[in-house]
Amino acid sequence: MANLLLFIETKDKEPKKASLELLGEAGRLKAAGRYKIHAVVMGGMSEDAKKKALTYVDVLVNITDPVLDQYTPEGFALALAGYAKEINPQVVLASATQLGRDFLPRVAVLLGSGVASDVTEIRWSEDPITFVRPIYGGRVLSEISFTGYPAVVTVRPNTFAGEEPGTENGEYLERQGGIAPEQLKTRVIKTEESGKGKVNLIEADIIVAGGRGLKSAENFRVLEDLANTIGAAVGAARSVVDAKWRDQEDQVGKSGKTVSPKLYIAVGISGAIHHTMGMDTSKLVLAVNTDPNAMIFSYADYGIVGDFAQVVPAMTEEFKKRLGR
Amino acid sequence: MNIVVLAKQIPDAEAHIDIGNDEKGLTIEQKFTANVFDEFAMEEALRLKEKHGGKVKVITLGAGKATEVLRTGIAMGADEVLLLEDGAFLNGDGYTTALALSRAAALEPFDVILCGRQAIDDDRGEVGPMVAQFLGIPHGGGITKLDVADGNATIECPVEGAKETIEVNLPAVFTAQKGLNEPRVPPIMGVMKAMKATIPRVTPADLGISPEEAGASGSKVKTGRYFHPKKRAAVQMIPGEPNEAAVEAVRILMDVERIL
Repeated sequence: MANLLLFIETKDKEPKKASLELLGEAGRLKAAGRYKIHAVVMGGMSEDAKKKALTYVDVLVNITDPVLDQYTPEGFALALAGYAKEINPQVVLASATQLGRDFLPRVAVLLGSGVASDVTEIRWSEDPITFVRPIYGGRVLSEISFTGYPAVVTVRPNTFAGEEPGTENGEYLERQGGIAPEQLKTRVIKTEESGKGKVNLIEADIIVAGGRGLKSAENFRVLEDLANTIGAAVGAARSVVDAKWRDQEDQVGKSGKTVSPKLYIAVGISGAIHHTMGMDTSKLVLAVNTDPNAMIFSYADYGIVGDFAQVVPAMTEEFKKRLGR
Repeated sequence: MNIVVLAKQIPDAEAHIDIGNDEKGLTIEQKFTANVFDEFAMEEALRLKEKHGGKVKVITLGAGKATEVLRTGIAMGADEVLLLEDGAFLNGDGYTTALALSRAAALEPFDVILCGRQAIDDDRGEVGPMVAQFLGIPHGGGITKLDVADGNATIECPVEGAKETIEVNLPAVFTAQKGLNEPRVPPIMGVMKAMKATIPRVTPADLGISPEEAGASGSKVKTGRYFHPKKRAAVQMIPGEPNEAAVEAVRILMDVERIL
C-alpha cells in the first residue's frame, strides 16, 4: 500500500482547523484502504490532540528537535523532507496556510518534486492523481498532475469536509530531526501577538468583510459585533486598508489574502475585481450594499439593498436571539 | 551590495481570458502589467541600493511581452537586466522556473534576492522559496520590513495573528508583500532610458541547464486541461425594510443554507 504523508500544523500544541480537515480526509482514505497514513508534527501536541489524531492515521511522528520549537522554513523543510525520504510517500499533503505555502516549496525541491499549491480538489482515484487549483484569481481552474511521485501538495483551507472520527489507533513515534542549529541561517528574534483570539481569516468558516460603504474605521465595530456573535473573522477591501481603517493582514483580494469560507458576508463592498479575486471561491455569499447596481451582487447568492448601519445590527440581534447568545 | 530582483510580467487582472475548445490552452487578451508583488520587490531593491550602494539587476523568464517588466525595472532605476529567453524555457512549472532563475541569479555573486510573494496569474507562490532551496540559502516569506547590516538582514513578517521579527544570514531570498513600501513612479528620463536599453539574453545552455531540465520538458507538474468554475446562480435579492430583510437573511442562512 502506498504511503501518504501529512503535515499537521499546530498552534499552542493544538492542530489548526485546516490540519483537522486534512486529518478528516486522511481518515477517509485510510478507511477506504487506499493509503498507509503517516502524519508529522513538529514539537508535539497536547495529549488529547494526540489521541484524536491517532484515530485518523497509521503513524503519527513527533519530531522534537529544539530548533523546531520555532518555525523556520529551512528547519521545517529539512525535518519533513527527511521523514519523507524514509517512507517515500506518493503524496505529501499540507494546508495552504501561510506557513504551509512558505515551506512546502522547499520540501518539494529537497524531494526533487514540484508543488501543486493551494489546490481546491483532489481526485484520488484518477491515475495519475488529478489536482484542481484556481488560477487568475479563480477565474479559471486548472487540472494538474505530477510526472512522478512524490506529489507535494498544499490544500486550500475549507476544501475538505471536517473530520470524521476514526476507530483504530495508529502508532506514535518520537524522533529527532537531526538538524544541527548551525544548519539554520534563520533566527526568530521576537513575536508580537496582534489580536489574540481573533478568528484567522484564511481558515475561517465565516467572514464578515467591509468596504468603503462603511464610511469610517469606527463603523467596523458594527461588523465586529456581528462577527463576534457568529464566530466569524473580519475582512476588508483594499480601499479601507489603503485608508488605514483596517490592518493589511485583514485585506481580502488580489494584493491581500485569498479566502474560501462557507459564508462570506460582504458589507459596503463594491465588488471590484481586485476584491472578488480573493473571495470568489466562497461557498455562499451574502452582499449588503446601498447601490442596487453594485458589482458585488454579481458575485453573491443573496443580496440586500440597504444601509449597513440598519441591516447589520438587525442581523446581529436576530442571530443573538436565535442562537441564544 | 549586489541585489537581484526576480520579476514577472503578467496579464492585467481585467484582461479577458478564454479557454480554447480543446481545453488545453488559454487565450489571454494582450493587456499586461508588472506583477504587483514584484513591484514591491523592485522598490525595496532600489531602496537597499540607495542606502548601501551596489547594483540592482532585474531578471525575468519569458518571451514577447515579458521584456516589459525589465524595462519597467530600468525606468525605476535598475542597473542591469537579464532575460531568460528560449523556447525551451517556456511552459514550465514552479520547479523549472525556480531552477532557471536560481542559476541566473548565481551567475554573479549576490547578497540579496528579492521577488514578489506570488504572481497573481498562476498564484503559485512557490518560486521564491524554491529559488532559496536550490541555492541552499534562507528565505523570508511575505516580508513587510527589511534592514540589512553586517552580512545579516532583519525582517518583519506578519504571520497569522502576530508579527515576527526574524534575522537571517545573507545571502538570502526575500518575498515582498503589500505593506513593505510604496513603489515609485518611474521618472520620464528613466522611461526614455528603458526604451533604448538593449536587453541581454541567456539560454538554458548558458545556465548549465539541459533542454530536458527546462520549461515544459523538465516540469514536475503538468496541466491537463482548463475549465471555468461553476457559475454562481443569479443573486436572490431579499426584499423589505432593513429590519425585515435582516431577519429574513438570518432565516435563510440558518434554516435554508444551514450555515450556523
